[in-house]
Amino acid sequence: MNDASLHLNLLQDDERFSSSPIRLRVMVPLLAVLGVVGLGVWWFLLSAHIGHVTHEKTTLETYCAELKPAHDQVLALRAREKEARAAFSQLDFYRAARIRFGDALAHLPQHVPASIQLTELRVPTPPPLPPQDPALKVKPLGPTNLAEAVTMRIAGRVSSSTASEAVRSLLEALRQPVFSNLICKAEIPKGTFRQDAARGPAVREHILFEISCGCSERRFE
Amino acid sequence: MKDAPFALDKLSPQVRMALGITGVALVAGVAIIVFGIKPTYQRVKTLTAEVAQLGVKHATMKTDITGTQKQRAATEAAEAALKDILDEGVIEPLLGSFSMRGKSLLDPLAEEAGFTIVNIREDRLIPLQVPNPPPQQLYARQLVELTGYGAYTQIVAFVQAAEQTFPLAVVSGLRIEHQMPTPERHKATITFEWPVKGEKRK
Repeated sequence: MNDASLHLNLLQDDERFSSSPIRLRVMVPLLAVLGVVGLGVWWFLLSAHIGHVTHEKTTLETYCAELKPAHDQVLALRAREKEARAAFSQLDFYRAARIRFGDALAHLPQHVPASIQLTELRVPTPPPLPPQDPALKVKPLGPTNLAEAVTMRIAGRVSSSTASEAVRSLLEALRQPVFSNLICKAEIPKGTFRQDAARGPAVREHILFEISCGCSERRFE
Repeated sequence: MKDAPFALDKLSPQVRMALGITGVALVAGVAIIVFGIKPTYQRVKTLTAEVAQLGVKHATMKTDITGTQKQRAATEAAEAALKDILDEGVIEPLLGSFSMRGKSLLDPLAEEAGFTIVNIREDRLIPLQVPNPPPQQLYARQLVELTGYGAYTQIVAFVQAAEQTFPLAVVSGLRIEHQMPTPERHKATITFEWPVKGEKRK
């Protein structure tokens, strides 16, 4: 018995079919075309959406344009309020930094002993502002110091043999509550309580003195 | 010569057509994405952001406009407060001169107190500390120095009267010197300061 098998291939290549019912040569182009159609639809929808959004934008722009005059009025009111408040704040700094001398000066004669003659009372004017730092890029609009020191110097002569008591009495008086709204501290600077040597032997009994007072500082804030 | 394994002429016309259609579809798809969808999508994104911004702006404008009356009241209150403090004693130059303004204000008080003013001059202008936010119109301190003669009580009465009459006038410098020939009559140099309009910011 001859076992040799005989294989006959009677199909041509293009006549071969897969056992699968889905044919790749049909499905792939079909899916590709469907994909392109899908992309086209997406593009179309996006384009339609642009039209819608553009219309919405135009509408909102129209509304905003209609409201602009009324809104500008509100903004102008707001700017005026801001300016008024800022100017008020700046002037309020000044108002807060006021200092009053009148009442304290009016009380002074009552506390000066009879043997004392005041020769000078001096409150120096505010010191000049320090020069601006040229390295600063943004020039400050005003002084940056918030406080300004105020001092008062009282000079006089005393002619009694109890000069030290008289001057001490005046010094103590300046520390009393009646002056406390102006004078914070009062002291005799070293070496200022001295004999009046400059005016000759006739006034040798005269003693000169100075009292330096630190007043309430002016706070611009 | 041996043929390439995937030579087109070896493929059946149906496969060739399928490959052709697929290739054309791929090219068309890429072109649609690159030249159509991508720029359109970007445009939609931009427009949507602009619309959202406009929506917020519109809503803000409407809210602001609704509060117009409230804002008007707040503005008027702020301006009234400013006017009060300006009226309280922010001085303006008299024909360009602060010293003459000072003289016009202080002369009647000095006369009443018995203090004789012999000289008056405009001193320094010191800028005022600036709040945050700063105003457009800045204010400053104008120093006006006056020299005169009088008894201590007259000088003090004058200072008191000035401080009471002009709440914003401040004595920023004072010198009372006794005069040898006239022990009861002193020379006084008094520097008053007032708030005045300063620079205007640009």
